Amino acid sequence: MKFAIAVFCAAHAPSSRRALLFARAALAGGHEIVRLFFYQDGVYSASNSVVVPQDEQDIARQWREFVSAHQLDSVVCIAAALRRGVLNEEEAMRYQRSAVNLDAPWELSGLGQLHDAAQAADRLICFGGP
Amino acid sequence: MSTLHVVSHSPFTDSRLDSCLRICGVNDAILLCGDGAYGLNNAALQTKGVKVFVLAEDMQARNLPLPDWADSVDYPGFVQLSLDYDKVNSWL
Amino acid sequence: MSKSLLVISRQAPWSGPGAREALDIVLAGGAFDLPIGLPFLDDGVFQLAPHQDAKAVQQKDLGANLQALGLFGIDEVFACHHSLAERGLTTPASAQPLDSAAISQLIDRYDQVITL
Repeated sequence: MKFAIAVFCAAHAPSSRRALLFARAALAGGHEIVRLFFYQDGVYSASNSVVVPQDEQDIARQWREFVSAHQLDSVVCIAAALRRGVLNEEEAMRYQRSAVNLDAPWELSGLGQLHDAAQAADRLICFGGP
Repeated sequence: MSTLHVVSHSPFTDSRLDSCLRICGVNDAILLCGDGAYGLNNAALQTKGVKVFVLAEDMQARNLPLPDWADSVDYPGFVQLSLDYDKVNSWL
Repeated sequence: MSKSLLVISRQAPWSGPGAREALDIVLAGGAFDLPIGLPFLDDGVFQLAPHQDAKAVQQKDLGANLQALGLFGIDEVFACHHSLAERGLTTPASAQPLDSAAISQLIDRYDQVITL
């Protein structure tokens, strides 16, 4: 079965970890993830600037590794990202900001990608809040 | 038609579980996860009569006993639940 | 045939970007001609209250986005009767009031749902 998974929370939120574990279980169960879409505070889950104490789970890094290992289509909503200061190189240059905190494997795009994924999937599942 | 509602907010500080109980249908189920697991102490949830699931790790972390009117699931179980019901409605 | 999406909007208008970002999902769906429904629930019904003044808190007026719904083909706009009554609001002209049972049936009718 095909899943579209939307993440609305930052890497430090329990629901981001929960989304990641769900995604891993979905693939382990032989299912497909058509897209991961990061919206609202979910854009923070894609930040490459998160620094976590060594004795804590680095969920942002684990997301990055999961997406890369499985070559998943992973989109960060550009409007939500800009508003929250999560920028890739192109946007940092466009808006003359000094920090680039979004890079591969994440792609910046619009809400159309969320709708496109929802249309393609058997199930749309969202994670957010605590 | 059936919906799996997912609630991760504590019912003691937040109204999402109340609203969920108000609008959920007889064939629906509720999965408690995160602080939503504290809903295992919620009398209204028990008497509503819908199927209640709780994510095992959240129950264990909080040392909450599993009442006989609820079932616990792990992540593979969560994935299966999302397919057993026609859609998933997470109360973000 | 396109899958239908119900977007349940629960955030008050000035509680952060949540209300606007829920509307953005709806409008984006409308731009792609997708079947979208928009019920306002809980504090979300405050978005429909009349005579609000966004400028007083230096915010953009959500009213313009709400008015655009029709232009984007979003006609299925609802307000939870219980939420309106709880908050002392009268039924807005822009949304069809629904009781709790009707909202339950609404969720059943749609293929997918996002509640934010």
